[in-house]
Amino acid sequence: MTTATAVSAGPMEYLKTIGVTTNQSGRGFINPYDCAFTNDGRIMVLNHADAARQALIRIGILNWDEDYLGEYSKGTGRGEGQWTLPIGMTISADQRIHVTDEHLHRVTVFDTDGDFVRMWGEKGDAAGQLNGPAGIAVAADGTVYVAEQYNHRVQVFTSEGDAVTTWGEYGDGTGQFNMPWGLALDGAGNVYVADWRNDRVQKFTGDGQHLATYGSSGTGDEQFSRPSAVAVDSEGYIYVADWGNERIQLLDRDGKFIQSLRGQATLSKWAQDFMSVNPDEYNTRQIANLVPDLPDHLDTPYLVSAQTEPYFWGPVALRLDHEERLFVVEANRHRIQIYQRRKD
Amino acid sequence: MSNADIALMAHLMRRAGFGATRDELEQLVEQGYENVVENLINPGDPGVMPDDVIRRYHSEMAEMRELNSAGAYWMYRMVTTRNQLEEKLALFWHGLFATGYSKLNQASALVNQINTFRRHSLGSYKTMLVELSKDPAMIIWLDNHDNHHDNINENYGRELLELFSMGVGNYTEDDIKECARAFTGWTLGNVEYMSTRASRDSIWPYSRINWHFNYRDYDHDDGEKTFLGHTGNFNGEDIIDIIVQQEATARFICTRLFQFFAADEVDEAGESVINDMMASYFDSEYEIRSVMRTMFNSDYFRSEEARFARVKGPVELVVGAVRMAGTYQEPTFGADQLARQTMYMGQGIFQPPSVEGWHEGAEWIDSGALVERVNFVGKELGDPGNPGVKAIIDRMARQGQGILSPEEQVAACADLLGPLELSESTATSIREFASEQGPADLRDGSRTEADEQRIANLLRLLTATREYQLA
Repeated sequence: MTTATAVSAGPMEYLKTIGVTTNQSGRGFINPYDCAFTNDGRIMVLNHADAARQALIRIGILNWDEDYLGEYSKGTGRGEGQWTLPIGMTISADQRIHVTDEHLHRVTVFDTDGDFVRMWGEKGDAAGQLNGPAGIAVAADGTVYVAEQYNHRVQVFTSEGDAVTTWGEYGDGTGQFNMPWGLALDGAGNVYVADWRNDRVQKFTGDGQHLATYGSSGTGDEQFSRPSAVAVDSEGYIYVADWGNERIQLLDRDGKFIQSLRGQATLSKWAQDFMSVNPDEYNTRQIANLVPDLPDHLDTPYLVSAQTEPYFWGPVALRLDHEERLFVVEANRHRIQIYQRRKD
Repeated sequence: MSNADIALMAHLMRRAGFGATRDELEQLVEQGYENVVENLINPGDPGVMPDDVIRRYHSEMAEMRELNSAGAYWMYRMVTTRNQLEEKLALFWHGLFATGYSKLNQASALVNQINTFRRHSLGSYKTMLVELSKDPAMIIWLDNHDNHHDNINENYGRELLELFSMGVGNYTEDDIKECARAFTGWTLGNVEYMSTRASRDSIWPYSRINWHFNYRDYDHDDGEKTFLGHTGNFNGEDIIDIIVQQEATARFICTRLFQFFAADEVDEAGESVINDMMASYFDSEYEIRSVMRTMFNSDYFRSEEARFARVKGPVELVVGAVRMAGTYQEPTFGADQLARQTMYMGQGIFQPPSVEGWHEGAEWIDSGALVERVNFVGKELGDPGNPGVKAIIDRMARQGQGILSPEEQVAACADLLGPLELSESTATSIREFASEQGPADLRDGSRTEADEQRIANLLRLLTATREYQLA
């Protein structure tokens, strides 16, 4: 039998889960890939959708109390403000929403009402061009950082989308990348990159000087399998979405392991609403063991998560809100689990 | 290296796999026929497109919720594997143990079922049947989750005997009941919740939850049973142990393998090969690897009469064309079209028409399916921008002085697509078309897009021939 990976003790506390899957417009998430927070307390959720439901690509809007406030989208396609495979999202200090699209190879900017502001990028490897843009972050001064998975580099733009510089190339040496994904900034303006296929996180200054490398390939503490996202809080603690291991790791300022999370989702408000009107499912769910022992051949983190509903499955993004609560966005489970580091 | 060696190796790879390019065939001929057979039945690292890369690009293949996404995920593997027989056998088992999405509403269970087939494909048929009986998709498909100690459901027991092992006429109705009793308690984990969700096609609250086997001791009928003349307190494994010892089982599985890999129809010479395969089955304690070795190395299989004697199934056709064209080697936007194409041609992956699987052979071809077949393959092989087509053109450029007459173009294209043995009437028609296009100058420096398109047009036309549609 395959048994669940133990959740280690530590300062991370589970708060709650938000979201529920949906097949239509309105309340619910559909393959969420990122989230961001406005200054007025709205939570924006980027719904990537899947190949069969591209018409449902959108940003959904809710608040902490899980009231669904609306959504916006310009539709699927290549037109102004439209998306095909939106991957990363962030909100700048001036409340502009920036979204990367790995298929259209561009960054699109909206205001918080969903009105189109600007977009830039086209497929290529020259300055200003993009190839598979993924993670995105905006510094306090408006400088935009984008991780390009197929150009294996980080590219820096002005807030207007003018190319400033790039760093990185394909490889596994210091400062090189293999299909980077998530990207985050700390309070000092340093850049952390989830170097996805190198199973590590690299830290750089804002102009690309390498500062540190965290992690190596594996399943142990301080080891990663295809990290997808990274976040850094105000005290320098580093959170890593260990996508291939289907877990989250908390590291200290020096990259030393503190805690591993495997996930512990509960029914969100919206999920409870579903269960309340579907008693057949609710009653049989009540007698089910949602963390079952599994046959030995179902032994990979992916397969375990596919069978174990409370566990993380496809953690593609990590974001800290204004109160430094950690939002773990799960693409395969259409929900966000929320945690907070205890500061005592 | 003789043309006969190339033709024989091409035949083997069309049957044991999905076909091979000329470069691949030349490498295989160097290894020798029997060595290639040994490599096919002892697969190593498949070198397939990595799961992490697929799941990062295709959210639908990470979640594995949609029918066509699951089908395309498997086709990525068929298109990129080095172990062609491994996937061809998985396709065979999928047809034999035909399990469909419509009743399950759970694509991941079908993907996991194919993984189970792959793990046990070439091993003991006894192990295969035990694992099949534990397979969650099969349990729901044939209602074994409703087979209880105090209220048996015969569906799985009946099909295990009729469709998966012995065939009708080799057991009694009482044997079916006793067989069903032995499989009581073989069910899914959390079966009440999972079967409720399956029946409602529920994705709520947080998407599908994959299934796993669970044995409920308290729901198993441990009483004495009499099955095919044997008596004991049999459980499912005991029943399968008896089943695999039957000559009817050996004949059944060897015949089905022969018809899938060697010839749609079994003649007298084919019967002789099947008898040899049955002997291998018993000599090896039911090992499919030994059975396949006997078949592929038989004079019958290697004979010229056996070639182009089967109609390519839709999956064979699509995968073969994509492999030849060199497309879909990386995650590709819209890849689920691959699975949809085979459905349009009559073989939807994970959508068998019934528990009996697909009717193969000439039934693959009707006017609607033929149009779909010709259009898809023509599009893949009629585009000179596709890497495999470019490789064919480059190879032709090295022929003679690099300027090919219409007749030389037809001969070279037919050779590199198969080699295909064109009938005289087919060859005449295609030569007429080639003559209208004129010669092709494929020399470096003077080759134009029009020259390349002439070759691609011929390849497209050849894929519409009867000869190409056969394996």
